[in-house]
Amino acid sequence: MSGAQLARSRPRVTIGRVSPVEIVLWSLRILVLFVVFAGTIGAIVKDRYTAAQWFDFVMFGLTIGAIYAQIALGYTMVYGVLRLINFAHGDIVMCGAFAGYFVASPLDRSGFLTQHPVMGMTAILAVAIVTSTVIALLTERIAYRPFRRVSGSGPLIAAIGVSFFLEQTFRGMFGSSVKSYPEPSWQRSTFGVWGFNVPRIDVLVIGLAIIFMAGLYLIVQRTKMGTAMRAVAEDAEAAALMGIDVDKVVVFTFTLGGAMAGIAGVFYAFVYKQVYFFMGFTPGIKAFGAAVLGGIGSIPGAMVGGVFLGLVESVGPSLFLDGLGIPAPYQLRDLIAFTLLIMVLIFRPNGIFGERMAKQRA
Amino acid sequence: MRRIGIGRTGAWVTWRRTALVGLAFGAGALHLAAVGVLLMLHQRWIVIDTLSLGQATVLLLAAGAGAMAARGDGSRWLQGALGGVCAVLPLALLSRAMDALTLQPIFIALSPDLQAMLTLGLPPAAATPALLALGAVAGLVGAGLRAAPRLSRALLPGAVAVLVAGVFQELIQLMLQQYEGPIGAVRDFVYTWEGLTQEGAITVFLVVTLLAQLFGRATQGRVAAMEPARRRQIWAGIALAVIVVLPAVAGSYIGQVLMLVGLYILMGIGLNLEVGLAGLLDLGFVAFFAVGAYTTALLTADAPNALMHLPYWAAMPVSVLLAVCVGVLFGLPVLGVRGDYLAVATMGLGEIVRVIVLSDFGAPLLGGAQGVLHIPKPQLGSYTLSSPVALFYLTLVAAAIAAFIAWRLENSRLGRAWMALRDDEDVAQALGINLVRSKLLAYGLGAAFAGLAGSIFATMLSSVYPSSFQLLISINVLALIIVGGMGSLPGVILGSVVLIGLPELLREFGEYRYLFYGAVLVVMMRLRPEGLWPSDVRQRELHAGDETAALDAGADLLPARE
Amino acid sequence: MKTPTRSRTPEGMTRSRTPEGMTRSRTLRRILLASTLATTVLAIGRPAPSSAAQTLGPVTDEIGVIRIPKNAPIQIGGMWVLSGPDTALGLDEKRGVELAFKTVGGKLLGHPLKLNAEDDQCNAEGGQTAATKLAANPQTVIVLGPACSSVATPAAPILWQAGIVDIGTACTAPALTAPNRGPQYAGFVRTVFSDSEQGKADATYAREGLKAATVVTVHDGSPYAQQLQQVMADNFTRLGGKVLSQEAVSPNDVDMHPLLTKIASEKPDLIYFPLFTAAAAQVLRQAKETPGLEKTVLLGGGSLASAAFIEAAGPSVVGFRIGYPDVSADAMGKDYPKFVAEYKKAYNEGPISGYHANAYDGAILAMKAIEKVAKTDSAGNLYVGRKALRDAVFEITFDGISGPIACDANGQCAQFKPSVLEFTSADPKTYDLGKNPKKIWPK
Repeated sequence: MSGAQLARSRPRVTIGRVSPVEIVLWSLRILVLFVVFAGTIGAIVKDRYTAAQWFDFVMFGLTIGAIYAQIALGYTMVYGVLRLINFAHGDIVMCGAFAGYFVASPLDRSGFLTQHPVMGMTAILAVAIVTSTVIALLTERIAYRPFRRVSGSGPLIAAIGVSFFLEQTFRGMFGSSVKSYPEPSWQRSTFGVWGFNVPRIDVLVIGLAIIFMAGLYLIVQRTKMGTAMRAVAEDAEAAALMGIDVDKVVVFTFTLGGAMAGIAGVFYAFVYKQVYFFMGFTPGIKAFGAAVLGGIGSIPGAMVGGVFLGLVESVGPSLFLDGLGIPAPYQLRDLIAFTLLIMVLIFRPNGIFGERMAKQRA
Repeated sequence: MRRIGIGRTGAWVTWRRTALVGLAFGAGALHLAAVGVLLMLHQRWIVIDTLSLGQATVLLLAAGAGAMAARGDGSRWLQGALGGVCAVLPLALLSRAMDALTLQPIFIALSPDLQAMLTLGLPPAAATPALLALGAVAGLVGAGLRAAPRLSRALLPGAVAVLVAGVFQELIQLMLQQYEGPIGAVRDFVYTWEGLTQEGAITVFLVVTLLAQLFGRATQGRVAAMEPARRRQIWAGIALAVIVVLPAVAGSYIGQVLMLVGLYILMGIGLNLEVGLAGLLDLGFVAFFAVGAYTTALLTADAPNALMHLPYWAAMPVSVLLAVCVGVLFGLPVLGVRGDYLAVATMGLGEIVRVIVLSDFGAPLLGGAQGVLHIPKPQLGSYTLSSPVALFYLTLVAAAIAAFIAWRLENSRLGRAWMALRDDEDVAQALGINLVRSKLLAYGLGAAFAGLAGSIFATMLSSVYPSSFQLLISINVLALIIVGGMGSLPGVILGSVVLIGLPELLREFGEYRYLFYGAVLVVMMRLRPEGLWPSDVRQRELHAGDETAALDAGADLLPARE
Repeated sequence: MKTPTRSRTPEGMTRSRTPEGMTRSRTLRRILLASTLATTVLAIGRPAPSSAAQTLGPVTDEIGVIRIPKNAPIQIGGMWVLSGPDTALGLDEKRGVELAFKTVGGKLLGHPLKLNAEDDQCNAEGGQTAATKLAANPQTVIVLGPACSSVATPAAPILWQAGIVDIGTACTAPALTAPNRGPQYAGFVRTVFSDSEQGKADATYAREGLKAATVVTVHDGSPYAQQLQQVMADNFTRLGGKVLSQEAVSPNDVDMHPLLTKIASEKPDLIYFPLFTAAAAQVLRQAKETPGLEKTVLLGGGSLASAAFIEAAGPSVVGFRIGYPDVSADAMGKDYPKFVAEYKKAYNEGPISGYHANAYDGAILAMKAIEKVAKTDSAGNLYVGRKALRDAVFEITFDGISGPIACDANGQCAQFKPSVLEFTSADPKTYDLGKNPKKIWPK
């Protein structure tokens, strides 16, 4: 389906006349709501967790959510401008994390990272951002640019190809072993807020993510290039007729997305302390889901979707499933995430923030 | 382009272009070296003690660079040589860098063995000039072949034959090893255990060149005289005949590989109904495959958690039926979801099925991580279909039936409704097409084929494990129908052979399987976005699209038309 | 680039509307008919697969004889996981086999030894294809491997159907050598212990060594981890302990904090998680950061005995314990230290995973069996009877480097001596079974 078609299409299909379909959909909704409520009540009745533990669940969710949000931004911007699902975006995150590792590891060994955390982190982030951006731009130039205006699923397949290629290239160059990110002592410390223990790295990651995302939002809303980007997202052909250099806008979009991916890669590695060639795949898929959740093409949507997904993944198994007495609830974490996604798509086929955008475009 | 080469700056532009072409090939060579492919290829002989696969790769790259760089003019030879030199220059620099620095702690592929390959066993001072000289010679050869197309056309078949005999040697030897007598003698003459013998390589080259000279021209003339549609039919016939005959001749390993190809063809046909005809992008297709496999397993297995112990033939229709039900059930919630959203929604549904199958929550019924074991093989009278070849023919029959049904559907009322749906949902609805019914039928029928594939898969493995039902399967199926050509049945077959069969046959390079897979996907989509064998309708559509899009910048990158 | 035109002509357009089969059918039918005939002829003419009584040269055998021409190599199959995240596991075993071949100079009975190693990807379909390929080669004498039980389950019957014995080198699922394993597994033996032994030993250590009263187990959905934690949990209960819950994660999960917080709310004495490298390292690192787990002991499984795990887990690996067969010098065969020295010399690093010794012993067993049954004719050709080879594998006993090797009637050849190892350093280069991790139990 071409971009123009997609923008035209109305979000809802009128299926009101067919009652069996409606019945199934409603029973599905009721089932999910029942599981949520029964589980929540069960969890409250069981009273297994202390307030501090609930707080921890939320903190963990916010941290991974902030990272999802940053990755989701890359998906959503590229989709907005090119109508392309950049399947390789998760792997660009991996590239950033790897580049950061090769800076962080010697800095940590020499003790620099412990003594000068700000300078050290800046250096790591800078290298990661540059690497991710360069790889994102190369990908765009080699694999995606030829597909401008080609309809169908060809670009998606090319993006999947790029994803495999990047993963395997890194595996071939740096090996398949899992590398451990350094853990300077200042990262491990926690501080207390209202009696809760807050790990410093989580606050750092969430705080910096908010700052970077706010910056990105300002760039897109306020700068000339950002305006051009939004214009291309609305209607590429009209934008081109108005004298906007679409190529430049696309390069700009990939630069922004690549930079966010680099930052997200470093944060991800600092929180979860591992880098290996396949690390980008799962968060990539999840962030993609988050982008859709928020309404793909919408920047605030990506942020909200990411945080929401992170929270549900972290709190959900303990809140809904544990309460129902389901064994090994954390094995079903992806089940919750994807059920949530599908429920959102049933209720709002274009995502939380998506409909507004679609209306604007129509 | 030719006009550029006149002035002084023009000459510089030409030379710069030559160097850039060469360096682009060089970057490719450098990448192969850095990820370890080059060394792996180097450890395989094409011709024993003479030419390794890795050396052949480097020489081919240099020759390719020479051929691409040589652009007519008087300085064609110099351009060819320069192109060749530029193509090996990055490798030469890499070799010097490895002398000066210890890179292996970071880049694990840059080992002393690779260095030994790049220096050709010479001392460093002599190695770099030697490598560059080899590059120049290869570049000259490339330029020469391009300058003399008739000569290169005469030499090409022989060279390709030697290369194929070398690359696929393990496979060919495996096929030949079951024969004694004259075939065994030929094998011993052509092959050692590790590669072609020198005299074998020369013989293969000469024989194939001679045969190509004798028969090639005549056939070529006849083929050229045929109309394209007929040419395609004949190719399809030959390909089909090879698929039908090969397993019976070549034995169980080929049978096993083709059986996997057949399963993917089945799934491809099913997904083709959804994506190719009805335009419903589905990334959760593996779910139906899993349903088919688990249903068969639970209905037939000799395991404690099995529900029944039916014979296979009774379980298969149930599996298909259940897959259809799940397909419709899948379709229901995502009826109103369109385009790329649909891809995500279906991917989510696929993942949900995988997670449930794997979980401890579903384990009492589905076996969890331990899967379901002891699934019997199908019985035909007193004959058990246990060998891969027998099961391959079962798959083939299933695929043939599926292809027939799909072909009939394509031209039916329903098929046309699907196509209308694909082109524009709103218009289709306005035309009185029942969207709900058409969509659900697309999901259900697509799922039926996947369920059938899953059912055969379960009996093939005699066991099912949740780890077999990854997202990767959905991606593979989608990739193969797009690479083959959307909406085209021969395309599905071709796509499966290329994306599933080839990697299985080249298992010895398995470590880099997905590297090549990814590269092939990107290159394919660049060169032929419509797929290897697009359907006629699709072809017309894409090209009709061209005419309106011809003004756009991207249009010149589509394959040129006559 | 010039591409052939496809149905751009008016004829092409009209044809596509009419049923295509009409014009295509004649050519197609002819080709199909010819190919069917050819298939039948060739299928009949093909030599029958070897699993019937056969006499070749000086050897007669119930299920077939392999003839290895003079100077031709003895082809030994191998299948391990050689790609993907568990590569170290399979590669380590492949190296063990290569070193075993080296001890005889790469030659046996005057023929060179050739190892055809296949990648089984550690999953059932990969294993089936690998086994089919090895079985399709009539020169495959015996097969070593696999590392994963989900591979051995479909692979061993395929090999045995072709009359090929399979010596498993790290597949530890109890069912593979259970008394009721079925005749299709008659050709399968293993030089590695069974999970039921390992799980029992780990439970014993938890109850007697650690005096733990409560445990939470975690698995990752792999057959290995799921089985092992189940056996451990059952034995733990039997020994009077209490299993608080049995949790699970996905192998590529990274955020274990919520799971660990849940576990912390149950306040167990011990967390038992026989996971693979990536997920285990995450559990280990994040457990140290989870409030409420300060006093809880962590115990991992044998797949973590590798340098790669130390690299993945970082500093938190120090003090971490895993249940593992006893590899201390007094428990292992006397040649083990020599083997490790050879390994280091050959591959510039110490053993990268935990099952090299089992693979080495498997290869020795295979060579001894071939030596025992192979016969040479006057022309220098070598003949091996398949059934005789199978019987020889079950009969031979010797002192391997992983301990004494002697197969019981169900193909269980290795004996199990339990131990618990503790990591002493976070530097992957110091990995050395016996020193880092070092044996702490039994004392």
